[in-house]
Amino acid sequence: MSTLEIKDLHVSIEGKNILKGVNLTMKTGEIHAIMGPNGTGKSTLSEAIMGHPAYKVTKGEVLLNGENILDLPVDERARAGLFLAMQYPAEIPGVTNAEFIRGAINARRPEDDAISIKNFLKQLDETMSVLDMTEEMADRYLNEGFSGGEKKRNEILQLMMIKPKFAILDEIDSGLDIDALKVVSRGVNKMRGPEFGSLIITHYQRLLNYIVPDVVHVMMGGRIVEQGGPELAKRLEDEGYAGIRDELGLDIKLVDEDA
Amino acid sequence: MIICDWQTALEQHSDLVQKYFMQKAVKYDEDLLTAQHVANLTSGLFVYVPKNTVVKEPLTTYFVQDATTKADYVHHVIIVTEKNSEFSYLENLTTVGSEKTTANIIVEVIAGVDSHVKFASVDRLGTNTTTYLNRRGHLEDNAKIDWSMGMMNDGNIVGDFDSDLVGNGSHSEVKVVAISTGKQVQGIDTRVTNIGRHTIGHILQHGVILSRSTLTFNGIGHIIKGAKGSDAQQESRVLMLSTKAKGDANPILLIDDNDVTAGHAASVGRVNQEQLYYLMSRGLPKKVAERLVIRGFLGPVLAAIPSKKIEEQLKVTIERKLVDGQTDE
Repeated sequence: MSTLEIKDLHVSIEGKNILKGVNLTMKTGEIHAIMGPNGTGKSTLSEAIMGHPAYKVTKGEVLLNGENILDLPVDERARAGLFLAMQYPAEIPGVTNAEFIRGAINARRPEDDAISIKNFLKQLDETMSVLDMTEEMADRYLNEGFSGGEKKRNEILQLMMIKPKFAILDEIDSGLDIDALKVVSRGVNKMRGPEFGSLIITHYQRLLNYIVPDVVHVMMGGRIVEQGGPELAKRLEDEGYAGIRDELGLDIKLVDEDA
Repeated sequence: MIICDWQTALEQHSDLVQKYFMQKAVKYDEDLLTAQHVANLTSGLFVYVPKNTVVKEPLTTYFVQDATTKADYVHHVIIVTEKNSEFSYLENLTTVGSEKTTANIIVEVIAGVDSHVKFASVDRLGTNTTTYLNRRGHLEDNAKIDWSMGMMNDGNIVGDFDSDLVGNGSHSEVKVVAISTGKQVQGIDTRVTNIGRHTIGHILQHGVILSRSTLTFNGIGHIIKGAKGSDAQQESRVLMLSTKAKGDANPILLIDDNDVTAGHAASVGRVNQEQLYYLMSRGLPKKVAERLVIRGFLGPVLAAIPSKKIEEQLKVTIERKLVDGQTDE
């Protein structure tokens, strides 16, 4: 079992403070969801954990099994067991999807113990069929010319092939129709188990009907303001974020709220 | 068909040598470098493809510049393709030894009427070899030359890659990939001159610079007055991997006729940080991620190379040059 602890995390981007003390602890075997209104720092949290260079951690720690990972470069964090399914995955021409995924798997193995091509292709075929992906997707250049839905599936494909300890899914549901949402959820649910934990970031409760979380966190104004079980997500869907803000007596302006 | 070394060409085909050697493509009295070339010429290759001859398999040559002693390398290649012939060629230039030397290399391709030449090269001259490399095509009516050149040298070099589109309807496609590493300086002038009517000259060159190296691409599209219906296009791009490296991409269009089309694109830019971040977020070390981004950047040029085999060979050479270049940093 592994643990991921976020302690009093403060993050700024271009000099603007976005996260103002986030605390969260999770273990493998658990699925956590973070919900919150637009502009509240959900994506900032995921990018800061992964190590995007534009996000500056000004205070706090992120511990993976007790070790602070904030001094590690992005690739070492990944090899330590973190994965971020991105909202806007980059397109890399000239590098095929299959070649890239194999490279990512081999980056985690000793040099003299690379995964055999046969073994790799078998796993890739099986995983792609779980995600209803056509075979030609393996030979296309990484994300190049992929539709929004194809990119999201491809993120989950990589997740399932790489098998990280903790996966952060940053709005994996955005831009997906209901069928694609089911497919993506099927992939994530297949990963569920004692060696896998996931932090799911979403605006909407809808995704959480398909991937039922163990814990729901509500984020507002750069902090986690409320925690609960799956029923908390349902309540948010009914009452909106303004309801919970007012109940907690928070002085936070919601981006989408009329002045 | 004739394929022979320089000495044999002089002895047995002196009429052809006299007709073509620095007469049509490069002139012996153009400048000091061409004059020195004639004066000091020591080795070379002569290829003559008679009319209506189609050579299916590419001729592959390996020229080794000897830098085990301080001798300068002066080397000449002539390829003549007569009317309606087809020929493809792959040239490999390498160095043995590490003495400080110079190389003066001229390649002339004289493409006769309706002939088609595919010219490819992978150049890997050594760190201590300072090189002048001139490859020039002389194209007659409806002739075509496809140039694909991989500039993977480790020393300082000036490359002049020129196509004179003399005959009506002649066509030159020039693809160059170049990688500069260490403290190396590479200057590459690629010129197409549209002289005949309805001629086409296209230049596509992409380069990568590492460490403290320099790479300059000059793209020259020159349309002479009277070359009606001609087309000159060029694209030069340089990708910087190091803030201490210097890159230039200069588009030069010289248009002396109205009834023509011409265009250019040029850029010098840094590696896309979002691409690097994405690749690294999957566990790939930074240097591996950089090489993948570079491969994508060079992709459009590599994909345009007419031979799959040469494309593959060039990819391997690029990977090796990049790995070596990255360890210098």
